[in-house]
Amino acid sequence: MTLTLCTGNYAAGHTLALAGEANRAARGCCGGAYPITPQTEIIEYLRAVAFTKGRVVPVESEHSAMGVCIGASIAGARAFTASSSNGLAYMTENVFAAGYYRLPIVMIAVNRTLGPPWNIWVDQGDSLALRDAPWLQFYCDSHQDLVDTIAVAFRVAEDLRVLLPVMVAMDGFITSHTNMVVDLLDQERMDDYLPLCNVPHQLRHSHPTTVGNLTWPRETERHRRDIQEAMERVPRVLDEAIGEFEAVFGRRVAGAIEAEETGDAETILIASSTMAATLRHVIRARRARGERIGMIRIKQFRPFPRADLVRAIGNAKRVGVLDRNHSPGSGGIFWSEVAASLRDASVLLQNYIAGIGGGDVTPETIDAIADDLTRRTAATDPVWQEIAV
Amino acid sequence: MIEMTLYGRGGQGGVTLAKLIASAWFARGKHAQAFGVYAAERSGAPIQAYVRVDDAEITNHNQIRKPDHVIVLDPTLIGGTILSGASIDGWIILNTPQQVRAWDAFSGRRIAAIDATAIAIRHGLGTRTTPIVNTTMMGAIARAFGFSLDEVRRLLNEYGYGGANLDAAREAFDSVEIVKLDGEPLIVKSTRPPAPISSLLDPDTGKPPAIRTGSWATRRPQRRTLTPPCNANCPAGNDVQRFLDEAARGDYDRALAVLLETSPLPGVCGRVCPAPCMISCNRHALDEGVNVRDIERFVADHANWPDPVTPWRRERAAIVGSGPAGISAAYHLARSGWHVALFESSDELGGVLRHGIPDYRLPKDVLDRELGFVLMHGVNAYVDSYINAPAVDALADAYDAVFVATGLQSSRSIDIANATQGIEFLDRVHRHDVVLTGQRVIVAGGGNTAVDAARSALRLGAASVRILYRRTRAEMPAIREEIDAALEEGVVLDELALPERFDAGRLQCIRVILGEPDSSGRRRPIPEPSSRFTIDCDQLILALGQEADRSIAGNANVFFGGDFATSDGTVAAAIGSGRRAAEVITHRFAPTERARIATTDDLHLNLFEHEPRHHALAVPPDLRRHNFLEVHAGIEDASAEARRCLSCGVCNRCDRCRDHCPDGILTRSGDEYRFDYDYCKGCGVCASECPRGVVVMEEI
Repeated sequence: MTLTLCTGNYAAGHTLALAGEANRAARGCCGGAYPITPQTEIIEYLRAVAFTKGRVVPVESEHSAMGVCIGASIAGARAFTASSSNGLAYMTENVFAAGYYRLPIVMIAVNRTLGPPWNIWVDQGDSLALRDAPWLQFYCDSHQDLVDTIAVAFRVAEDLRVLLPVMVAMDGFITSHTNMVVDLLDQERMDDYLPLCNVPHQLRHSHPTTVGNLTWPRETERHRRDIQEAMERVPRVLDEAIGEFEAVFGRRVAGAIEAEETGDAETILIASSTMAATLRHVIRARRARGERIGMIRIKQFRPFPRADLVRAIGNAKRVGVLDRNHSPGSGGIFWSEVAASLRDASVLLQNYIAGIGGGDVTPETIDAIADDLTRRTAATDPVWQEIAV
Repeated sequence: MIEMTLYGRGGQGGVTLAKLIASAWFARGKHAQAFGVYAAERSGAPIQAYVRVDDAEITNHNQIRKPDHVIVLDPTLIGGTILSGASIDGWIILNTPQQVRAWDAFSGRRIAAIDATAIAIRHGLGTRTTPIVNTTMMGAIARAFGFSLDEVRRLLNEYGYGGANLDAAREAFDSVEIVKLDGEPLIVKSTRPPAPISSLLDPDTGKPPAIRTGSWATRRPQRRTLTPPCNANCPAGNDVQRFLDEAARGDYDRALAVLLETSPLPGVCGRVCPAPCMISCNRHALDEGVNVRDIERFVADHANWPDPVTPWRRERAAIVGSGPAGISAAYHLARSGWHVALFESSDELGGVLRHGIPDYRLPKDVLDRELGFVLMHGVNAYVDSYINAPAVDALADAYDAVFVATGLQSSRSIDIANATQGIEFLDRVHRHDVVLTGQRVIVAGGGNTAVDAARSALRLGAASVRILYRRTRAEMPAIREEIDAALEEGVVLDELALPERFDAGRLQCIRVILGEPDSSGRRRPIPEPSSRFTIDCDQLILALGQEADRSIAGNANVFFGGDFATSDGTVAAAIGSGRRAAEVITHRFAPTERARIATTDDLHLNLFEHEPRHHALAVPPDLRRHNFLEVHAGIEDASAEARRCLSCGVCNRCDRCRDHCPDGILTRSGDEYRFDYDYCKGCGVCASECPRGVVVMEEI
């Protein structure tokens, strides 16, 4: 294990490059690239890599960036890219296409608030706006989680039981631009970990085909159900991928959720990304004071880990979901998914909207949320939590 | 866990410094975290950065509200607010040129102070306006926190910040002033009062804060004027760019007024000038040079001529010779209020313009129009008045000044019988005194006189006309377009040949080869003895060049100009000479420093559209030989052709600079442009959008 002090963007670029290079004995790697704050350093890193077989293609827009990935992947290359905020919005049509084409593309989503008005800071609304696209989504809470999850993402995406693209999200600036200590992976073990990319329906000269033609309703329905069935196989595939990762790299990567102190908890707070790291502080401090409180970090948002979640919530009476995102006319998005998973009406489920537009969610803020939750007698509409900045 | 906050300005390397500090502890095996606060910052704007160090893994990603230590990279940021939330036991590390004890706000605290700005500038880190102080500060910080110089060296080398960075860090490490101030520490709570938030639907959110962003600039736009090559190359000294500018606007009257400031013969030059302005025109690099000559002709022919002035001074000048130099001197002296007497030996005014240039090139009504304009300034002209050397002396006594511009009166000759001199021939042509029907004519020579003689001979019924030249076409001094016209009309060119004997209808010639260059820089023709040949010839005309008759001597108030003085050989040079003589005579001559000539490198040619040159219409060659009517008809739309002028190095108020300024700090009032340097960030768009090199960026 060799530790490095570097930014999340650097770590992401480094890991993507290793994964791309690992496919040099097959069809190599390729991705389309377009820069946007706070992802630019990833693109700059990738553009400077001299792949043995492959290149990152600068294009004029994010829509084309995903277009290049689709072309590359359907030609059999390992494909990847990165984007944020309005860049993700711009590539939306092709994001859906990548999933419907069943292509194992990996995209780093550096979460940034959607504009206008313009805002560069973290907010999960950009990647969550794509939640209905047939992509897996993982939300990372640290540099290490990010590096490890990117490697796992390729493994899961390219597994023939899944064959769906994967979005790996990190918090803009908080992870992307912050220097932290991380164990970056190395080429030799990445070569061991990732099998060569083999897209079964790739275009071949020997077997000319057309992909994506007009289909009848029944055919479309079948394809969509196929996708759902692939999503249902993800937990098993992810588990194997994590096991393999531990065998090769000697480290256990977090799975779909991370539950802490939930066993006997009366109150449970749920969060994602780096806000979950801050939540961990608060939970440990309150536990030390004797409170029966626990936390769940939801890392895998798609497929939504309903069963794991229900199991972790167990017999807790109050559950608070922290959302750094908001669907107007409804509420926090993680909250709405948790609500759909919880069939037990006796649980008090409360949504707290915190950190929209990049506000700095401090332990004090989360303490206030925990205080509020523990004093409640009934759930109300989603609460917008006050933030200083 | 140790937490510290850095306060700095964009461009000083604050975020990198945070990473360096984190790296220093990471090298000692600690967990570390470093990040900046990203906002609407840029060079010069205040920013913060944070560092956390701990033995355990760091999971707190919040901004630091209660730092253990505070570091300030910019002296202008030092003040009570940096203490916000700061632990009273921690370090305050400052970049400041001032004495530490001066800071009352920091009483009771541990201070480390270093003039990092001065050290960074001295070691050439960054620029004078934006020095990069981070590596210097690292030296001071390392000393405060107990790192060794070795650790600093290893750290900086790992990042590739060697050389001057290392020296600066070492200097700061050695000379940082460390002191604990007396008194009670001031505790400043970390509070940030929430700013009011306007609704998106609110049309008026008040004025934005006044931030003088001009202070962030490291370079500034300046305006300058260069000399356009046309102006630099015009022998008459015309302001070519300015007259084209007026013509481009369609104001032909003003264009004519500009020309008349320097030359009274625009219609003449617009027909016969070899146009060095067109040859030097920068537009050749884009498509074709501007057709200046035809625009000058158009302006002279179509604009309204101004009213002439009449003499108002008591001084009197005498001018000998009414060629272009004499006419020009007469005009400029008369415009200055002098009484002018113009003496001409021939029976008509005009000199070579009348006698030496045929009508098909210069119709005489054009010459008369412009001569008439000059005479109407109260100039008295005397024809049939030959002024010899004693007569010049007499004039010098009677007048306040005499200007002699008699041109080149003697023709060079060779020892060959039965030949006619070209100048004489052309004079007889002018007097309609020549018939050449059916004759085989040969003209020896390569200048304008030879070509004019040849083309005139053709029009006078010659059966055939040949030009015999002792070098090749490339060395012929005649105007290139005239040579082209002659060949179009059917004149035949015999290169590399000399005439030897002319007798009974036969001209004996000898071939030459070119040897070493002679005094004119052209290769000397060497006869080849074995290569004699004969051509049928009825008329031999010699046009071998002219020389001045230098029998006239000087005197205190006698001035010489035109071809008589310089043998330059062009109308434009003669006009310039006459004007300079007038300026000297009236004591108004002041040689001025010219700005350097604008080259294509000064221009942004990509900002101009291609557009072909407007060419003058001409009578078809086969119809020309029957008469002496003017061959060229000029161009139709002079304004459109004048708009092709690039105005090299001279502002023509196109407003591109103003229109492209992204910050709207460049305004125009009348003809004056103004940069608001309080807000100019030095982006340079005005300079890159100026097509003609008037706006340039300069380092501050």
